[in-house]
Amino acid sequence: MANPIVVGITALYFLGVIAIGWYSRQKMKSATDYYIAGRQIGSVVNGLALESTYLSPASMLGLPAYVFILGYPFWWAMSAIIAGMPVATLLTAAAMRKYGPTSFADYYADRYNDQRLRWLVGVIVMFGAILYITLSIVGMGIFLLAILRFPYLYGVILGAVIVMVYVVFGGMIATSWNAAFQAVLMTIAALLAAIGIINYFGGLAGYHQAILQNSPTFFNTPSDPKPHHILAGTWLGVVGWFFVWHYGFATMPYTVVRFFTVMDIKTARRSIFWCTLFAGIFYLGLEIIGAGAKVMIESAHPLIQQGVVTKGGAVGVLKYYATTYGVGTVTDYSMVAAVEALQNPWILGILCAGGLAIAMSTAAGWVMVVNVLVTRDWADMMLRSKFAKENPVLMARIVSVIFLAVSMVIAINPPGLVLDLSGWAFVVIIAALGPSLVLGLWWKGATRTATWITAVVMFVLHLYAWLYAKTVLGHHSFFFLNPLLGLPKTAIITPHQVWAIPVGFLLFIVISLVTKKPEKEVVDKYCVKLTETL
Amino acid sequence: MPWPPKIFWAGLVLYYGFTAICWIGEATMGWNHILLGPEIYAALLGTWIVPLIMSVIYFYFPEKAEEAS
Repeated sequence: MANPIVVGITALYFLGVIAIGWYSRQKMKSATDYYIAGRQIGSVVNGLALESTYLSPASMLGLPAYVFILGYPFWWAMSAIIAGMPVATLLTAAAMRKYGPTSFADYYADRYNDQRLRWLVGVIVMFGAILYITLSIVGMGIFLLAILRFPYLYGVILGAVIVMVYVVFGGMIATSWNAAFQAVLMTIAALLAAIGIINYFGGLAGYHQAILQNSPTFFNTPSDPKPHHILAGTWLGVVGWFFVWHYGFATMPYTVVRFFTVMDIKTARRSIFWCTLFAGIFYLGLEIIGAGAKVMIESAHPLIQQGVVTKGGAVGVLKYYATTYGVGTVTDYSMVAAVEALQNPWILGILCAGGLAIAMSTAAGWVMVVNVLVTRDWADMMLRSKFAKENPVLMARIVSVIFLAVSMVIAINPPGLVLDLSGWAFVVIIAALGPSLVLGLWWKGATRTATWITAVVMFVLHLYAWLYAKTVLGHHSFFFLNPLLGLPKTAIITPHQVWAIPVGFLLFIVISLVTKKPEKEVVDKYCVKLTETL
Repeated sequence: MPWPPKIFWAGLVLYYGFTAICWIGEATMGWNHILLGPEIYAALLGTWIVPLIMSVIYFYFPEKAEEAS
């Protein structure tokens, strides 16, 4: 049965979101306001909005779930995600703000002097968008289950409708201010839950020892005789996890477009400081929750204490949720179950509100990216649609509804854990589009042909490798060529086929070296001048 | 040829150097088995403090250079 305190806190959260959305809507006067908030967002708001948009349910639910599965070595993957934020400051953020485009595809079309690239970039980004909006709706479904105790399916439908209303009537101004509010909320939620778990075990030392007693190999690394899990059982695997998301902040469209919304370059740089400050605290909380989830659930979860679940420990509790409420990817529920075990409705309420916040802001961020790509780049600029030109906001809203509806259907039975969907989207986009973005800014020799070939080859190759590893070998982390090399399928661990990122960069460089260079004036304008005095 | 400013590389050396030292410490001296060791060097320092220092130097020094020019 739903706890009234948990429901009440969630209701307060929604009132806050509606109030901010309503207030910011009064300020929206043009399509530019809708797409990029009129470039009037300051560093603190943009930094917080960056945090809540970039960090999705893949962070809030998925990272603790993977710490639960892989043990302590996965903390380093989380460290690398946070460290990737400052890396973006000078790598792409400042230059992209100096350039000041409207859409993610603008840079590719201008730098390589080829408008047709809008089609290619759009297709690849949309693949990532569908995965990300899906995982956000999965997150909504899980948190709504924790709040209202109704079947996961209802949560998915209700969650999709909430995001639809939120994005369709808001645009980027509403999402910027709301995302900032949501960032504060989710950071506080994770911190409170982590403090609650540490307190439960009588302090940090007690917490550490409780984990070791419950799971003696938890803190083992590949150098120890018995690693905690095969997927983090080799240093190659640990390094692979480290790099899956590391460069995402610099290259993923839903963060890159946030650099467009700020007032100036100085604000863009400073906003990343605020983002790193809050996101670091948030991740500290998630690391504590993820590591303590198993022992917390097995020590104090009400389902075990009341004798509803009698075998299987923490996994038994998660399976109970799968069979009772229809949660498709049960490990994703481990973080919520750990907080349920605290049996404190105030903390659970704030966590659920924070969870809804992170899911809504991420879905909204991605929907805005595809809105701009489809409405402005494809319909208006490429197809010269009169309807899109005259009704850009209406068309963007129609696009939002279509993407959310498709994602909702996939979310009912998702193809993997939320973090699986996230890693897949990251590696495919970074490998296919990252080289032409980063090297386009920093290397005069980057060419149009290399952009096309790298994007097409790496998109198709990674898609095939990931699906082959997942469906034939049993997990996306097994290197897809293991069988071809005559090795056991688990011999080489490459999470999400992360090898595709360095291969993509290498391919781009090699092709650039042997193909025709772009026009000098284009290179000067979109490479040399953008990166001067950063 | 455009090239990221020196401060960019300094930030990378700071973070990757810190990570490499921690991993070498774990592999050779078992730092991960020290009570609260991982919580301090991987969580507090690696996930928060070191990236935060990077983000400070990445806005502070470019701004200082802009003011000087």
